[in-house]
Amino acid sequence: MTESIVSVFRALIFIVIALALCGLIFSVAGYSAPDMFRAIIDGAFLRTGALQQALRWGLPLFITAAGVVISFRAGYFNIGAQGQFYIGAICAAFAADWLNGLPAFIVIPACFLAGMTGGALWAMWPGILRLRSGADEVITTLMGNFLAVIVLIYVTSGPLKDPTGSGQQASSRPLDAAYRISTSYGVSPTIIAIAVLVGIFMWLLVNRTAFGVLSGLAGRNATMVTWQGARLWNIGLASFIISGALAGLAGTVELMGPNGRLASGFLPAHGFTAILIALVANLSIVGTAIVALFFGGLASAALYLPVIAGLPSSAIDIINAAIALFITAKSNIVDRFLRNWRKRGWTT
Amino acid sequence: MSEEKQTVLECRDVGVRYGDVVALSGVSISFARGRIHAVVGQNGAGKTTFARAISGLVSPDTGEIRIDGRILPTGNVNQARQAGVELVHQSFALPPSFTVAEAMQFGAADGRIYSRRGLESRWQTYLDNLNVNVKAGQRIRDLPVETLQSVEIARALVSDARLLILDEPTAVLSPEGAQKLFERIRHLKDVGVTVIVILHKIREVLAIADTVAVLRGGMLVEGPVECSGINAEKLAELIIGPAARPLEDDQKAALTGSLDTAHAHLAQSVDQAAVEPVLKLTAVSTRPDSDGPPLEDIDLVIRPGEILGLAGVEGNGQRTLVRAISALAETSEGKITIEGLDVTRASLQTRRAAGLRVIPFERNVEGLSLTSALWENWSARELLQRPLLSMVRPTELRQRCGTALGAWEVHYSNVTQHAGSLSGGNAQKVILSREMDEQARLIIAAQPTRGLDIGATAFVWDSLNRARARGCAILLISSDLDEIMDICDRVAVMLSGRVVGTFTPPYDLADIGAAMTGVSK
Repeated sequence: MTESIVSVFRALIFIVIALALCGLIFSVAGYSAPDMFRAIIDGAFLRTGALQQALRWGLPLFITAAGVVISFRAGYFNIGAQGQFYIGAICAAFAADWLNGLPAFIVIPACFLAGMTGGALWAMWPGILRLRSGADEVITTLMGNFLAVIVLIYVTSGPLKDPTGSGQQASSRPLDAAYRISTSYGVSPTIIAIAVLVGIFMWLLVNRTAFGVLSGLAGRNATMVTWQGARLWNIGLASFIISGALAGLAGTVELMGPNGRLASGFLPAHGFTAILIALVANLSIVGTAIVALFFGGLASAALYLPVIAGLPSSAIDIINAAIALFITAKSNIVDRFLRNWRKRGWTT
Repeated sequence: MSEEKQTVLECRDVGVRYGDVVALSGVSISFARGRIHAVVGQNGAGKTTFARAISGLVSPDTGEIRIDGRILPTGNVNQARQAGVELVHQSFALPPSFTVAEAMQFGAADGRIYSRRGLESRWQTYLDNLNVNVKAGQRIRDLPVETLQSVEIARALVSDARLLILDEPTAVLSPEGAQKLFERIRHLKDVGVTVIVILHKIREVLAIADTVAVLRGGMLVEGPVECSGINAEKLAELIIGPAARPLEDDQKAALTGSLDTAHAHLAQSVDQAAVEPVLKLTAVSTRPDSDGPPLEDIDLVIRPGEILGLAGVEGNGQRTLVRAISALAETSEGKITIEGLDVTRASLQTRRAAGLRVIPFERNVEGLSLTSALWENWSARELLQRPLLSMVRPTELRQRCGTALGAWEVHYSNVTQHAGSLSGGNAQKVILSREMDEQARLIIAAQPTRGLDIGATAFVWDSLNRARARGCAILLISSDLDEIMDICDRVAVMLSGRVVGTFTPPYDLADIGAAMTGVSK
């Protein structure tokens, strides 16, 4: 228990350092740092309706990030969440297109099935290449992202193109309102229920199954579990498939919920933010839920930055990037600080 | 004042704590200049911590360290280095992709810019002067372990070290390699370097050191005393302490290195030819791979209640044999049966279900996941016998793990602590507790005592003997002939992927040695 408290604490330190750094950068660039912080806090947490907005962005991020946790824990750096997210949304859009006209209770489950299968398959080929021939999954899943972007452009300007579209951004025909699982506002009981179910199942999978324990061991020392008789093929492929399926699920949620249509290049940073969330949460499912809501809050605050601080809304990307920088640097300074702290006996 | 000059290193009341664990407490000791000092003790006695405190890698919580009478600022490697203290680590720290010359330069950059050739010639001369037989252009990863260690030592001497600390240098060496190392240490002594060598084999202490100091439980219990004034039995008692179980005679003999052991318990072995073997290898061959020579035509039989020793110079196919039995190397020809069951094409999971247990060569890589919790490591074998999606109750697993580790006398504080926080002997006991359960029928023990102190070694032998008494078949792979000759019922010798001879007691060291090296008698 203390270990997870320490890791949440550490994540908070990272985020505070990152925000301070951004404040510094922006004030050097001529903006007002206090205004920026006020915009973030207001937009993310205080304003009326802020919680709904945090959920709107945070829930799909949580679903994708939970998948990232599964593959990272097993030692596979599937950084293709973005591509799997796109392919999931594309497959769901095709399903909705083909089944258009049928009752919603058939179409909606079919879309979810199609979206999850699409995401799973998009994670599976790098998984097979990795497990069969050792092809580095970082490279192949990254390539998968680029391919998925191109497929999305093709689909939205080709097979599923909306002929009445403005032409500014290629997109598919809007989904029939009957097939939507939320309004454009973005939160609905259905989406919350899906996220909660994902959370429960993934928590059970990680913490209460043989797979959870063994994939955690395999992620830290694959040789050891091989000597215990494990087949990495099973554990590894399952991890790729689950993580891809969840990214695909998130894509489907975005398509059938807030977006309502497939637009070329929509939510281009979703998968990467999800990876960031999983890392900040130290690959724990509960932590991922909390951190995802926090990042959801940041995403909704992006709308407030131009209004209050006069900053472009993409400033939030800079903040995300700064957090990523500190997380991936695994800041030795913070670690040493924490170790000294514990050694002096202030905690534990 | 002359007293002061004689002392190169003086520790006063040095204590180190890691969190709640006291690693070293109240150690006051001084070492005389220009001699070879051994520091011995069981795993976890504080030897490595002691070495690290002196070399500035850890900062003591209490006490002071003086070099040549001057107080050394603690916890600072550079200060220690400037004072002439160098530490050669237990596990090597040279970057594998570097050439020897680059690795040497890395530790001793002088601000000048060299061409590749210039760099190599600079260090070639240096290494030649130290009698290190290596080409400066070779890559670190291509060096045999003996040479690697020589390079480490040479590197430590670059900065004109006057006090060299070697942390368990023999743990990775063959007996011949250890002999060469000892010559090197004596040579260093001749040129005026003071050497502190951390050891755990009594025989080696008596072979090399001038004085010996014994640590137990983080405290200094004896020394430094002159080695001429102490014998092996006395030293063994000091190391293990009064509370420990008395050692069996043959174990004590093997630990202290007297070879003329009577094979008292081995004489009891009845003629077992009629009993159905637990493991049977018939004409087993494998394809060549990166892990040593392939197996050729191996025939082996191990019966219940029998320990078969596998002797041989390292790298003659022992690893491949273990991997073939464990289904981690493909059997291209021949047949493997476990308990009468043909498992030639079966997975390791199936073989383990049939009673196979493996204590692998590399404790920290193949045996344990060092950054995972003890209970996860302990329960891996059992969990793999269940379907992947079966539910587990971690609380229950943690409880059972705690009970098991307690029964195997593992010193740990919490089953959620990382396996990497245990000392070598304790880590090995975790593996034993996992692999030597009641259902075990065939135990492959690959170098189970390598790097262990004598207390832990005796524990491992005891465990193997108990499993044997229970009717397990055991294959013991070891490069320590004393060990093999003392506890094995039969000995097979491997050379270049073949079994070139089997021996029964009473063993003749010369015969086995000849078979190992391929010298025909």
